[in-house]
Amino acid sequence: MGTMLTLLAATAPAIKQGQAIAFGLGVGLGAVGAGVGIGLIFASMIQSVARQPELRGELQGIMWLGFALTEAVVFYGLLGGLLAFVLVK
Amino acid sequence: MRRLYVLLGVALLALAAPAAALAEDFKPEDEFKLDTWVSLHVGPIDMSINKAVAYLWLGTAVTILIGIVLMRVRIRVKPGNRQTIGETLYEVAQVNIAEQGLPTKAMGLWFPYVASLFLFIWVLNLLGFLPLPISNDKFDLFGLHIPTFGIYAATASLSVALAMSAMTFVFSHVEGIRFNGVGHYLKSLIPDVPKAMLPFIALIEIISIFMRLISLSVRLFANMLAGHMLILVMIGLIFVIHSPPWRFFGLPAAILFYLFEVVIVVTIQAFIFAALSAIYIGSAIEPDH
Repeated sequence: MGTMLTLLAATAPAIKQGQAIAFGLGVGLGAVGAGVGIGLIFASMIQSVARQPELRGELQGIMWLGFALTEAVVFYGLLGGLLAFVLVK
Repeated sequence: MRRLYVLLGVALLALAAPAAALAEDFKPEDEFKLDTWVSLHVGPIDMSINKAVAYLWLGTAVTILIGIVLMRVRIRVKPGNRQTIGETLYEVAQVNIAEQGLPTKAMGLWFPYVASLFLFIWVLNLLGFLPLPISNDKFDLFGLHIPTFGIYAATASLSVALAMSAMTFVFSHVEGIRFNGVGHYLKSLIPDVPKAMLPFIALIEIISIFMRLISLSVRLFANMLAGHMLILVMIGLIFVIHSPPWRFFGLPAAILFYLFEVVIVVTIQAFIFAALSAIYIGSAIEPDH
């Protein structure tokens, strides 16, 4: 029991650093994917409106739908990072 | 000039937000702690009243008030202010949200649900960015104990978002069975594939049905949580960094994030939640295959 406690005390900072890494990686990698995706959505929106400006109104609804669906991907990563903080004590 | 006033107002609001933080140790995550105020236990269910419940009640009251003020208007040919705003809201709810997903035959039945979902979430999200005196801590002002002003949205709690998506989840399956019959509906859930692939595909489809529940709730909850967290952390830099000129470094960023959240995210999240609810319910009523 005593050795367990000393071991736990020794690894506590390591756990904290691990949590920080998990959080950073979760949010960061999530943001990479979502950044590319959101960029693609707006790029194709610009192209479509440049080709057919009269469709702008109809396209805008679809664009925001896609934007929100893509943006949510970051938050799955964020949630994973937060879980690392909450579950591992 | 008017824009300047708006900006100044936002800056003041942002300063007022973490009043609790003037204490030595500032923890932005404390803003999301839900302390029990009134303990209420019904059997094994914990129905205690806390900050999120107070915000929900306030949101409900404001939503009802908006509905009564904007919709119970004597309709005129030349519309007044209230009628114009009311008609705009109604049109957004009908054209941009309900008609995205609901088939015509289910419009009368499910338009009220989708529209009130949109209005309710929108109001809850907006309330989350007003500093309101609803919080766990109190401060003294001329001998009065006033709760500190804090920004907190009820939708930034997973329970609230999950409850609303669970409603959509249950309604969509109940309506699917009611309109198509049990056999037809269950068959429509699984696409046509070769027999050997069937168990595999069925498993994926069942998982994806439950993923809808998770993605719908997590999208709303995490968006609001992350928005509040960003603003609070940027303001919290005042208490973390000690050299004078640099400690206010985060403030412009906080104001920028605040504007981004209030102008774009609040409306988009309410819109997306309602539109996806409409799409889920609509696709259950009229399956493609």
